[in-house]
Amino acid sequence: MVNTMLRGTTAVVGVSDTPWYKRGTSGEPALKLALRAIVSAAEDAGIDPSEIDGFVSYGSERNDGQRMMPALGTKELRFGALVWTHGGGIPGALGLAALAIVTGQADVVAVYRAMSEYRGRRLRVDVAQDDTSPQHLVNGLDSPAQLCALRSMRLIEAEGVPARTLRDMALASYHHAKRNPRAIGRDTELDAETYEESRWVSEPYHLFDCSRENDAGSAVILVSADRAKDLRQKPAYLLGAPMGAAAGWGLREESGNPYWSAGFQGVADRLWADTGYGPGDVDVAQIYENMTGMGVSALIEHGFCTPASAGEFVTFDNLIAPNGGLPINTSGGNLAEGFIHGMSLVGEAVRQIRGTSTNQVPGATLSLMTGGPGDPVVSTALLADAAAL
Amino acid sequence: MEYEFHAHRITGGIGADDRFWESLEEGEFRLPRCADCKRWMWPAHFRCGQCGSWEQLWEPVEMSGRIYSWTRAHYAFDRTKERAEDVPYVVVVAELPGADGARVVGALAGPDSGVRCGVEVRGHIDPPSTKSKGYPAVRWSVVD
Ligand SMILES: [Zn+2]
Repeated sequence: MVNTMLRGTTAVVGVSDTPWYKRGTSGEPALKLALRAIVSAAEDAGIDPSEIDGFVSYGSERNDGQRMMPALGTKELRFGALVWTHGGGIPGALGLAALAIVTGQADVVAVYRAMSEYRGRRLRVDVAQDDTSPQHLVNGLDSPAQLCALRSMRLIEAEGVPARTLRDMALASYHHAKRNPRAIGRDTELDAETYEESRWVSEPYHLFDCSRENDAGSAVILVSADRAKDLRQKPAYLLGAPMGAAAGWGLREESGNPYWSAGFQGVADRLWADTGYGPGDVDVAQIYENMTGMGVSALIEHGFCTPASAGEFVTFDNLIAPNGGLPINTSGGNLAEGFIHGMSLVGEAVRQIRGTSTNQVPGATLSLMTGGPGDPVVSTALLADAAAL
Repeated sequence: MEYEFHAHRITGGIGADDRFWESLEEGEFRLPRCADCKRWMWPAHFRCGQCGSWEQLWEPVEMSGRIYSWTRAHYAFDRTKERAEDVPYVVVVAELPGADGARVVGALAGPDSGVRCGVEVRGHIDPPSTKSKGYPAVRWSVVD
């Protein structure tokens, strides 16, 4: 049964990213980048930044609303929260913002993420939050790239998903980046040969399978569906944004089943149940790919394909706009647009509903955004045009 | 007994596996089981979610199993710089039938050409070293 309290009762009405900088080169601390993104997302919506009364983020975000309110002229801060744990929390942050709005806790909520190595920690360390288990560190496993590599290796060797699917996800992202003037990877000519010849990071991942952190800020503004109607932009209605972990998941280190999972067991099913739609209805998807292989797992768990049919579904031609069966990561995604803990994927999911993506899927009415895969808790969201309400 | 890893404590994770590392320093490979319902509880936790018991038994387990998954690391990241000279090195997740399929991580010892999911491995215990960040460690090697 659809969730009538949350389905279509709020909308994203403002989006903005700061420019993308190579890590450490923005010359601005993360808090300032967060402010820039929030202010310009509010301007995009046609809302004065002082009206923002809710602040929601996720992961290791430290630029909380209370620290920014003097600069925003905040009239009253009424709601603020951080969603666990890492990038898995993004769509859940949208869901939490929606909960705050529909229950009257806040009227205008900013969901955002900002990172900068300028006067900040190494972003890689910041994102990992020092919570890597000794079971991993003692044995030479540090980076999410390595931990995700273990899952994708199993997907390939035990489930028989072709390694080529990882490559095609990367090719699709870089292909889309070429048309996005803001993308960090817009000038990278990636073809199959360049991919195969690129160095390994952690097998089965090549360099081009892995996202790399950037200095940037990214924000979106949510309001009630009623208020959204009167604003400047075409609303992207939030249909659902469940978060969670199935029984036997959570902090299972290497013992979760299925091992190749990106964590969406049950969560994706709830998305379809809450929204009344299914994978076959989705027009375009932003698939958080910290690493390509985890994006493949996310596609499988959302029901777009099975391990057995992944080889047919996850092909370059099928993943690109405008005519692929499921265009993904149409801004270039985490890999090729830039990585700010996945947050910019929300903005691109919204632009597809507005019709303003640089790789627009014609007539897109249902736009999916899946959260950071492989996180012990994940979330996923479906955004829609008014026609799909 | 004084345990070396205590002086090098890694604060990540939930910290329910001290007995695992202590056992390794004692030269034994032990995994936790619920003291009441006898379920294997790995990764270690503080309470059995099945029966509610707060007690665990740390039982010796045969260091023998199959590769459940693996990766060949070609880059030593910040917190594992100690292994920079080993690059590329293989890390294995071994599935152990002696503990109901518990999966235990360890670096691979010896040649890595036969590494593949499903391949049989046997483990041994390395004493604390810089490479393993002052902790003892399990190393897996492929059984010919
Ligand atoms: Zn029990």
